Amino acid sequence: MGNNINKYLPLTESTAYILLALNEPLHGYGVMQKVKVISENTVNIGPGTLYGAFSSLEEQGMIVKAGETDRRKMYVVTEKGRQTLDEHVRRLEILVKNRPSRGTS
Amino acid sequence: MSKLTRSRWFWAWDDEKEEKWLTEMANNGWHLKNVSFPGRYTFEQDAPRNMSYRLDFFTDRKRREDYLQIFADAGWEHVAQYGSWQYFRKEAGPGEEPEIFTDNESKVKKYQRVIAILVPLTPIWIIMINRLNRRPEIFFQAVTFIGFLIMLFYIYTMLMMLRRVSRLKRK
Repeated sequence: MGNNINKYLPLTESTAYILLALNEPLHGYGVMQKVKVISENTVNIGPGTLYGAFSSLEEQGMIVKAGETDRRKMYVVTEKGRQTLDEHVRRLEILVKNRPSRGTS
Repeated sequence: MSKLTRSRWFWAWDDEKEEKWLTEMANNGWHLKNVSFPGRYTFEQDAPRNMSYRLDFFTDRKRREDYLQIFADAGWEHVAQYGSWQYFRKEAGPGEEPEIFTDNESKVKKYQRVIAILVPLTPIWIIMINRLNRRPEIFFQAVTFIGFLIMLFYIYTMLMMLRRVSRLKRK
């Protein structure tokens, strides 16, 4: 399983945030808005980038369709997507742990 | 409402130049209405506006509605289509420059979609030219020559697109 996931890593910042946002079913615009909020305005996803990410994530089995509202398809993260995101976050945590501390004494 | 038609040629890897030109036209009050073969741009006159024009290359007809919906929800108007090229625009506030692709990876994928369309066409041209070339009549020789020029055009486009991709990847 581990190797299976490693080929997708590291995720781009946008992809990581899209997976994070899709822990609940959302449509495209919902994802764009949520990412803006949860990233504290550090990540802004354009529609071209979002559409491309939806297509490849669906193809890779990391997200699936979860119904429709007002003719807009909603997606939600799958178990595979969640595992990939977890592994991505674990790597980032290792990075953070290794960050040299500055003037804390 | 007055109209203006301009003919201009842009290479596929020069899409940013094209976007800039359309933005300048809108700044001068000429707003894109339609794009048709071979590179004819129709504009309509209205108040000058600060617009951001962006191009995408999209071929998946079955998912066109979903695709356009996401752009519309994000405030992008689908203005025109030329082949598989999609023209979008969005009003830009002062100092703002809205983008449809917000990272390098997705920009690279756009150019790779264009390359993916061109690659399978090249062997078709080569086979066709090879067949035609065997006929000695002047007519077939002329067609062969034209076919050869078109093939060179495809190969040149592909190489320039690959160069664009490798430059983006280095950023």
